Amino acid sequence: MACYRFSSGSPPRPEVPEGPRRRRAPALLAALALAAAPLALGQPRLLEPERAFALSVRALDERTVEARFAIADGYYLYRDKLRFTVEPGALAAPPQLPPGKIKHDEFFGTVETYRGPLPVRLALGKAAPGQAVTIVAESQGCADVGVCYPPSVQRVTLTLPATGAGPGPVVEAAPAKKSWFK
Amino acid sequence: MSSRRLRWLAVVVAGALALAAGIYFGQRHLGGDGAGRDGGPLLAIALPDTDGKEQPLGQWKGKVLVVNFWATWCAPCREEMPEFVRIQAEMAPKGLQFVGIAVDQADKVKQFAAEIKLNYPALIGGYGAMELSKTLGNSLMALPFTVILDRSGRVVHTQLGPLREERLRAIVAQLI
Repeated sequence: MACYRFSSGSPPRPEVPEGPRRRRAPALLAALALAAAPLALGQPRLLEPERAFALSVRALDERTVEARFAIADGYYLYRDKLRFTVEPGALAAPPQLPPGKIKHDEFFGTVETYRGPLPVRLALGKAAPGQAVTIVAESQGCADVGVCYPPSVQRVTLTLPATGAGPGPVVEAAPAKKSWFK
Repeated sequence: MSSRRLRWLAVVVAGALALAAGIYFGQRHLGGDGAGRDGGPLLAIALPDTDGKEQPLGQWKGKVLVVNFWATWCAPCREEMPEFVRIQAEMAPKGLQFVGIAVDQADKVKQFAAEIKLNYPALIGGYGAMELSKTLGNSLMALPFTVILDRSGRVVHTQLGPLREERLRAIVAQLI
């Protein structure tokens, strides 16, 4: 006759090897604690400005370059603080900036800000197929957590494509030096 | 290796990767890690006020000093300053002194100071002052950045980002 055991307490434990189970819980807790520590302390993370406002450029043809800021979530750039120059040479026209988000600033009045990807088309003064040019982009922005970065300058050098060769590759800005310091 | 063991390993590896990524991406946190530093180098500088007159910070030694790095182009900085004005008015008789160091142009600073009826010195710091703030824990050289020194000139608290009134009052209460 089979003997059935009736449990009055907790349900029977599943057959799990004890070792890994016991070790996994502390490891999980440790990983969670590591990830959550800054949040627990009420200290949101902040990116370096060159990562919060990462710049890349791409030649569209031998005299047109698209500069693109990849603005990280929770960060924004001010439109009136954007400056673009090209070395050597000069831009043929003011940069074509897309419309930003208008907001009212108590001190400065109306200000325009950008979030997300910000493509800016730059027309070079002179076509220079096959030549290397450096795009110098100055920007200033803030993080929603209540911190503003000083103006920073990023520089990217790219080679302009031959006439009729089509757009060139995307070139990322090298980790920027804080050149506003000089 | 059992699937559970693999999962455990995955958790550890993911944790290590996340940690490495955090370090790699050079993330910083709000708040401060400058406490305990020597405020001597900060107290040793002299900066021009909005009228161009040099003001040595050492003149406020012996007071509880709240040094706030700010700029008019920094909206979060401007937002917290009226609160500083209130606390300055209230606690100056007890030996509290705010000093603003603006990384900005004197005319803009003057205009904003008049607007909020600033009742503590606004000095023009420029980028040299930002470098100094870096040595006090402001590694991103971002604003606002606030340093609280006790009467002996020791750094008691540093804060990147807004310094909430409650927190500021709690820290200052220990020092007054």
